[in-house]
Amino acid sequence: MTAMSNEDRVARIREARRLIVAAMQGCDSPQIETMLRSADMELHWALWNLGEAVSLRPELDYG
Amino acid sequence: MPSAQLSVYGQGARDSLFWNKATETMPRARLDALHLHRLRALVQYAWDYSPFYRSKFDQAGLKPGDIRTLADYKTRMPLIDKSEFIALQAEQPPYGPTLALPLEFVAHHSETSGTTGVPLGIPFSTYDTVRYGESWVYGMWALGIRPGDSFYFAFGWGNFAGFWSAYWAARRLGCRVISGGGLDTRGHIQTIQRLRPTVLISTPTFALRMAAVAAEMGVDLAQSSIRYTYHAGEPGPTALPAMREQLERAWGAKAGELLGIAEIDAMAPGCPNGDGVHVNEMNVFAWSIDPKTGQEVADGEIGENIVTSYVNSAQPLLNYRTHDLVRRRAACSCGRTWTKFEGAVLGRTDFMVTVRGTNVYQTAVENLLAQVPGISMHYELVLTREGDNDVMTVRFEPDKAIAAERELWNKAAAEAAERIHRALHVRLEIKPVAPESLPRYELKTKRIIDQRPKEFRRALDR
Repeated sequence: MTAMSNEDRVARIREARRLIVAAMQGCDSPQIETMLRSADMELHWALWNLGEAVSLRPELDYG
Repeated sequence: MPSAQLSVYGQGARDSLFWNKATETMPRARLDALHLHRLRALVQYAWDYSPFYRSKFDQAGLKPGDIRTLADYKTRMPLIDKSEFIALQAEQPPYGPTLALPLEFVAHHSETSGTTGVPLGIPFSTYDTVRYGESWVYGMWALGIRPGDSFYFAFGWGNFAGFWSAYWAARRLGCRVISGGGLDTRGHIQTIQRLRPTVLISTPTFALRMAAVAAEMGVDLAQSSIRYTYHAGEPGPTALPAMREQLERAWGAKAGELLGIAEIDAMAPGCPNGDGVHVNEMNVFAWSIDPKTGQEVADGEIGENIVTSYVNSAQPLLNYRTHDLVRRRAACSCGRTWTKFEGAVLGRTDFMVTVRGTNVYQTAVENLLAQVPGISMHYELVLTREGDNDVMTVRFEPDKAIAAERELWNKAAAEAAERIHRALHVRLEIKPVAPESLPRYELKTKRIIDQRPKEFRRALDR
């Protein structure tokens, strides 16, 4: 397996965040929303630690 | 045959010498560009969500858009001191206007150790705890600690952020957690023998205390399962090479250390070279000033560490005065580009010494002495070293009102000892001496008489 570039990794993480935020829309289960928020928090933190200029907290991106 | 190999990390991550090489070795220009972006976002966040900072900005005539460069931030953003936060929290407990998130986000209440007088309340969101724990991990990984290692926490937990953040780190790293909460020193030693952890987390002086008690029990901890000791909270193996030698001999283990500040972050993990700590520039922005003039000092010069945290979203800290004196270095042979503090913390703008594991500040002791009837302004704080511990003895002259009544001297001493114990949780020996017997000084009174061996003093206190 060839190593992925950081640019590709960042793009995939951004896409994963987009999908997670979409899955949160209208969620009526606090359990599932907790899990999605937790996953998005980790992805936000991954972007931060890949040196990306992201917001201070993931919730600030939810609009 | 199992269908999948179970492993915490893939081979590439497992083989890495760095927890995150990309950021730990990031070129300075890119780090600074990120700092600028993040500082501007943080200033906007503080303006939007923190009543405390909104008021500060208004007083300074500052708007978020005014910060266009790092120099703008350093020169225009007001310096913040812990005493302001403590006063506001006392007025409006628990956090007053320092809180910048709705209370439903606060997942963990923690506190500073209270050794400067009154503990500061620290609210953490869940995200804040993850990021705080992460800061420990850089140094642990560099030391060689990996999943499969098991951590022994040799302390009662209480509300002290330092202890809890070490736990968050162990969870982040994926190591087994063994709590020593509630045990006495002998109990810790017996538990280590029984459960065979590989990493000891404690203050450095307590690690030495454990080794001394173990020797009394006929146990040689150098033969124990512990392979790493990792420390914070007081000058340890990085600040004091003599301490490293003692720790590593007593435990037969590699000793590591980080510089943490309870209300901020485990902000500077130890350098693998063992001669300093590196500022975690993903979590904080740090620069240094001359504490007398407030002017920035250049790399290589000693100055007070001023810290801004990106990861305390519940209680933001911007341009926060730490009162720690550090010497910054831009480069390090270990490969990290993160700013290095050579020798960790070299001293305090307000003198601090660690007595039986408790940080005792000169200013806190002096403040308490001043409240005791019968104790004059002629006193000195004598530091000695007994076994593995620093010892502080207060020698005071009785004031004129009781100078002729010797029995009242001891009463004043007992009251001072009690007040100090109540406020600082440490017992100091308080000795009255004859009136007019202590030296007088023309200029600044010399309060600290440091009789400890040089190798047990921080660089600037030698």
